[in-house]
Amino acid sequence: MTADIPAIRVDHVSKSFRRYKDRPGSLKEMITKFRMERYENFRAVDDVSLQVEHGEVYGLVGHNGSGKSTLLKMMANIHRPTSGTITTDGRISALLELGAGFHPDLTGRENVYLNASILGLHRREVDLLLDDIVDFSGLSAFIDSPVRHYSSGMFVRLGFAVAVHVNPQILIVDEIIAVGDEEFQRRCFEHLYKLRNNGVTIVMVTHSLEIVRTMCDRAAWLDHGHLMSEGRSVDVVRDYLAQVNDAESERQFELDRERALVEQEARFRESPVGEPAERLVTLGEIELIDHNGRETRYLETHRSAVIRVNFSCRRPVQRPKFSFSIETQAGVLASNQGTTPDHGAQPEYSGDGSIEFVMPSVVLGPGEYTLSVAVHDSDGTMVVDKKERVITFRVGTDLPFTGVTDLLGSWSDPQFGVS
Amino acid sequence: MTAAIEIWTYRNLIYNLAQRELRARYKKSVLGWAWSLINPASTLLIFSLVFGVFLKQTPPDFGNGDTGVFAFYLFAGLVVWNFFNATINGSISALQNSGQLLNKVYFPASCPAIANLMTVVLQGVIEGGILAVVMVVLGNVSVTFLLFPFTLLLLAPFALGIGLAVSIFNVYLRDVGYLVSIGMNLLFYATPIVYPVTSIPEEKWGLPLRTIFSLNPVAQFVGWSRDAFYLLRWPSPANVAVMFVVSIGTFIIGWSIFSWRSKNVTEEL
Repeated sequence: MTADIPAIRVDHVSKSFRRYKDRPGSLKEMITKFRMERYENFRAVDDVSLQVEHGEVYGLVGHNGSGKSTLLKMMANIHRPTSGTITTDGRISALLELGAGFHPDLTGRENVYLNASILGLHRREVDLLLDDIVDFSGLSAFIDSPVRHYSSGMFVRLGFAVAVHVNPQILIVDEIIAVGDEEFQRRCFEHLYKLRNNGVTIVMVTHSLEIVRTMCDRAAWLDHGHLMSEGRSVDVVRDYLAQVNDAESERQFELDRERALVEQEARFRESPVGEPAERLVTLGEIELIDHNGRETRYLETHRSAVIRVNFSCRRPVQRPKFSFSIETQAGVLASNQGTTPDHGAQPEYSGDGSIEFVMPSVVLGPGEYTLSVAVHDSDGTMVVDKKERVITFRVGTDLPFTGVTDLLGSWSDPQFGVS
Repeated sequence: MTAAIEIWTYRNLIYNLAQRELRARYKKSVLGWAWSLINPASTLLIFSLVFGVFLKQTPPDFGNGDTGVFAFYLFAGLVVWNFFNATINGSISALQNSGQLLNKVYFPASCPAIANLMTVVLQGVIEGGILAVVMVVLGNVSVTFLLFPFTLLLLAPFALGIGLAVSIFNVYLRDVGYLVSIGMNLLFYATPIVYPVTSIPEEKWGLPLRTIFSLNPVAQFVGWSRDAFYLLRWPSPANVAVMFVVSIGTFIIGWSIFSWRSKNVTEEL
């Protein structure tokens, strides 16, 4: 281990896999091509370069199939790059699966020896560590029973107990945090923190952005094998979230459009507020606009947003009343807002128009919400037109709160000896 | 050379894989380890009956001049064949069964086959030991017994070389495994095990048939085992030298094929 050499250097690495076709080629194909094309190449990782420094916790994020696990396996020397090089400096231990290589017919104790040797420990080292390992797993009563009688939780616990005692210089972790109960996860984390404090370099793949943000110093985001972003973990997570939310927003638009069509049909069949032709005011498109002025289905807490209601009046009408309500996914009313009877300068509306509800700062908590809009007559007694659950949108936040709303408060410094 | 060093650093793993194999093999069976003796004993019984009694193969006399017993003549050959057969088939299944593990942890892909070889060596030593004891009881004893460990010493790299080569091809094309079992069947009867070498005609169809059959390295190893325990004689130095070259050469070729093809083996398993 030398200071100026990174723990892991990934240099223009690509990896292609053969994707086998199930269907055998036709006889004609066999004859004309001489050799059957039984597979096609598929590029899982495409020209990725990055460095992991010594003592650093490095996260790999990306959706399923982005190539992050392939990259991890190449770092662990399980797969070889098709092109490019990976150089590592230090003893690597890969935790791609807990209890890999456990034999169901062997006892817990025998499997500890086997598993430890797979992870690179020598017999004498295991002799010394055995008591610690058994203690850590909490399975001393079962250590001499075959592991086939273990529950899946016990299995994983024993696997983890072995893995953490291997004492690597570089630890490669794939999604192991996702298994086990809460207690076990807590211990996993405690141990990872301990390793980090001992200067162990950790590379991890995880779907939890929270873990990346809190545990990792730096991170990389992979998408379809391409390196999209690399750097400080908070920045990478932000880039990643922005893209994910764009995609999410796009999907939501699609759903809303479909729902609008269905509702339109339903409305003609059974209208709650009279035939459309007889309505004095009809609601047009409802728009949700983010702080960039773009229509969206994703809002961020403490950013500005606008709800725009388009409407048209069949003939001049006395000032109608507009209202909307926002409900959580569970149907809890988060807010209902309406115009007052004396709202605005014009007493009479005519033609096509629009009205906006401007939020300087979104205070909704993270989650999914639906928006319903209605227009009433001037007294507010009769609903003239309404669009129920016309928009479904998400609110995201990087602030440390949950619930329906942010109370916009702040914590004081603690005071002592006052009462 | 670097490969040898790498294998050496993984000796603990090899040892543990072999131990796992041995420990797990007879778990949940009442007779347990006795099966490792019952199996060859049953084969021996059947072959003695069919070839010795029904087909009346006549064995040569013992090295001490006593009248030969076909069952022991056969057993001396079977020990070598079992070793060879278990190494080849074991290498194939060892690599295939390690697929999941090789995809989770890095270790040289040759380790499972080497671990398998260790279990085979143990079995071979036990069978050889039993044969030696029987020979001592029969009073057919000589220092040529020492030829047997030497036989295993040269047979091991020979068999492992072939085992590694076929096991890696089997990963890419499962047909190889089926072809190997046919090939092994043919080879068994092409090797003078259930019949003495002398029953092969010296010449037939204008071909030096016996010489052709003796080119088979397995036949040579079978012969050595019989020399050691049954005929109590030493092979010629020239014969030993040739077999040494054949054995090491086969190992190097098999190992190279394996190294060359095993680069991306984890993806195919």
